[in-house]
Amino acid sequence: MTQSSDASFKSTADLPDSVGQPLGALLLSLADNKRLLGIRYADWILGAPTVEAGIACSAMAQDEWGHARIFYSMLKDFGYDPAALEHERPASEYHNSEILDADVSSWPELLALNFLWDTAISVQVEMLVDSRFEPIHYKVRKLLDEERFHFDHAHGWISRMMATEDARAALRDALGAAWNACLCWFGPENDDVVGALSDAGVVSGGSETARSRWLERVGRFASELDLAEGSEGAWTSAREVDWSDWSRERRRRTEGGPDEDSLARARGDRNRSLLMD
Amino acid sequence: MIGPLPILEPSSGAASPRYEQGMNFAAVLKETQGGREDLPAPPDFDGPPRDLAERARRALYEVADPELPISVLDLGLLAGIAADEETGAVTVSLTYTSTACPCMDFIQWDIRERLLEENEIQSVTIDTVWDPPWTTARISERGREILGSFGVAT
Repeated sequence: MTQSSDASFKSTADLPDSVGQPLGALLLSLADNKRLLGIRYADWILGAPTVEAGIACSAMAQDEWGHARIFYSMLKDFGYDPAALEHERPASEYHNSEILDADVSSWPELLALNFLWDTAISVQVEMLVDSRFEPIHYKVRKLLDEERFHFDHAHGWISRMMATEDARAALRDALGAAWNACLCWFGPENDDVVGALSDAGVVSGGSETARSRWLERVGRFASELDLAEGSEGAWTSAREVDWSDWSRERRRRTEGGPDEDSLARARGDRNRSLLMD
Repeated sequence: MIGPLPILEPSSGAASPRYEQGMNFAAVLKETQGGREDLPAPPDFDGPPRDLAERARRALYEVADPELPISVLDLGLLAGIAADEETGAVTVSLTYTSTACPCMDFIQWDIRERLLEENEIQSVTIDTVWDPPWTTARISERGREILGSFGVAT
């Protein structure tokens, strides 16, 4: 620690390399995950079980894209070209979770993204609220105001579906399939890259803290589906975390990236001819 | 009313569409002019503006939100305004009702157009800020009355 506890980083120029590089990577991961999550929400605008749920998906998709744009634009100061990031990367350079690579085929699977994944992202964003990196500190509160409604939406639907045995079984499968990806996303325990961000006060806590906060949010329902165990305030995963094929750099498992259709939508390929100069 | 949108071609001479220059909404927006005709008149001001920043701020009563019959000022989008009396440079700090506000570019365009109508203003810079976050508490009393008269609850 070279900074006193109350000093803040006014811009990227103030950040040591050991902090700037991983912070840029974190922002890129947040941006890509939000962009792809927005596409997954958008897939359900017309196919949700109720008209109201479709409208909610539309609103959530729009939020995610707004948030993604904020993060992409911030990356300019980290040496990236935001326009190239948004419109020109191949799938192998995306840093979104593998669970967002392709469309999901059922409403319970979409709820798994809404409840587990969207919450995981928001927990990580919450840990930037008190960031000593001022440009982030001044952006994330509005974004989190909006995310509260995403959690309420997921929570409401999951409560409702837990009431019937068939729906509960479908939720168990869907949340179970997304569970490991969420646990991994916060990074391995004692990860030195996450630790550097935490030590610098740029992120308020390491990977274990983030994972625990996420479990606090999702633990009660997850325990009813045998994914978590413990009690309120002290939930742990009922499953061992599987770190095989985990890429710390891309914060995802497996090679590859968004499928062809998702990539075209993420980059706006079909919109290019309409873009005005 | 806006007629059918024109078909827009990528600019001539460019090898590919260019993103970094941002969009030029001139063709689409010429007719909106911030919807000024439909806006309620600005409030009665107490004397002439005391400085350039105040002059600019008053002018924003004539810039409408693209979705509501209310000025961007009454809606509470203005987070700050600064002006250089010598150079005529005005810097506007704006926030929006949501991070995914689809109208950001429209609003910025309308504000720039309106401010540049003032002889004293030579250039306009618009910064986006998200803190403090916009909530309905930022809508002015006047704004609440206007929205209420249109049946919009605040």
